[in-house]
Amino acid sequence: MIVLSIIIGCLVGIILGVFAPTISYAYTDYLAISIVAALDSVFGGIVATLKNNFNFKVFVTGFFGNAILSILLTLLGNKLDVDIYLAAIVVFVGRMFNNLTIIRRHYLEKWEQTEAKNKAKLEEKKSE
Amino acid sequence: MNKSKIIMAITIGIMSFIMIYVMSIQFKTVNKTDADELEYMREAELKEILASYKQKYTDAQEELDGVKDKINEYTQNEKSEEEALKLLEDEVKEADMLLGNTDVEGEGVTITISSQTNMDSSNSNDVSVINDGEQIEITHEDLLELVNELKLAGAEAIEINGERIVTTTDIFDVGSFILINGQRTKAPYTIRAIGNQSYLESALSVKDGYIDKYRSRGYNVEISKSREIIIKKYEGEMTLKYVK
Repeated sequence: MIVLSIIIGCLVGIILGVFAPTISYAYTDYLAISIVAALDSVFGGIVATLKNNFNFKVFVTGFFGNAILSILLTLLGNKLDVDIYLAAIVVFVGRMFNNLTIIRRHYLEKWEQTEAKNKAKLEEKKSE
Repeated sequence: MNKSKIIMAITIGIMSFIMIYVMSIQFKTVNKTDADELEYMREAELKEILASYKQKYTDAQEELDGVKDKINEYTQNEKSEEEALKLLEDEVKEADMLLGNTDVEGEGVTITISSQTNMDSSNSNDVSVINDGEQIEITHEDLLELVNELKLAGAEAIEINGERIVTTTDIFDVGSFILINGQRTKAPYTIRAIGNQSYLESALSVKDGYIDKYRSRGYNVEISKSREIIIKKYEGEMTLKYVK
């Protein structure tokens, strides 16, 4: 059900995205940082799901909150003439890598467990 | 399937839609815009470009100043050359005027000399008839003396019957003519001289001066002052063969 809604959302996004308008180049910085923030939330959500402590409200507020906050931070950085968005990117991308590592490990462990089970079964069969 | 799960699914679908949509906007924008164009550049890049242009501007300004200086120099040189040329031209003009190579005009006097040939004048003027019946001819010496007198009085240009008196002018008798510059002339002689008109006049008409002297000899000498006398240039050629 959720996977289906994700797929539908993505498809609609891609189809409409083809006809999407372009924005002024000056705003690409803000959009980019918000995309990175949203992606970070997505991976965070996946990790939480894997750990079975997924909270839907936390996920939604994180998704939009992080995006908006990062945009505001970039804006502030522009006003202060400090590249704050670099810090935001470092944090988000670092977290994304962490989360990816967690996801990878989770599935590796799962795979190893099934492997071990299969081996055990084979040995059981052999012994029989 | 409970209600909260449906809401969750819808929300996640919307979220994924938003994300993909925004991402495609971003991709399109980044793809489309030419990062080399000035209006899309970041501030730091613009600053760099601005700085380099400023440098270029200063360099160009310096170059321009150098070129301007050079132009000034050239114009000055040209000016001084022009001045020298003008000076030379003026000198040549003056020399031409002195030599008689140009038409000149100015104040001066006109003198007419003729021998008294008409009967009544020869009769009335007893002094004029020294040798009865013999016609008095004007000789080249008379003219030479007149020219000399005029020169003494400061005449700057003299002509006799249209012949300019120059440095090489010869005046001598040939039969009944007088040759001036190789041209035959006959009485009456009209002599025009440019110079201070009162000097010239007084020099000639002074008591016992030229006019008195020649009138007493029986010549008809008339003198008139004029503000405007035009003297033609010397028509012959002046060539130097032996002067070195």
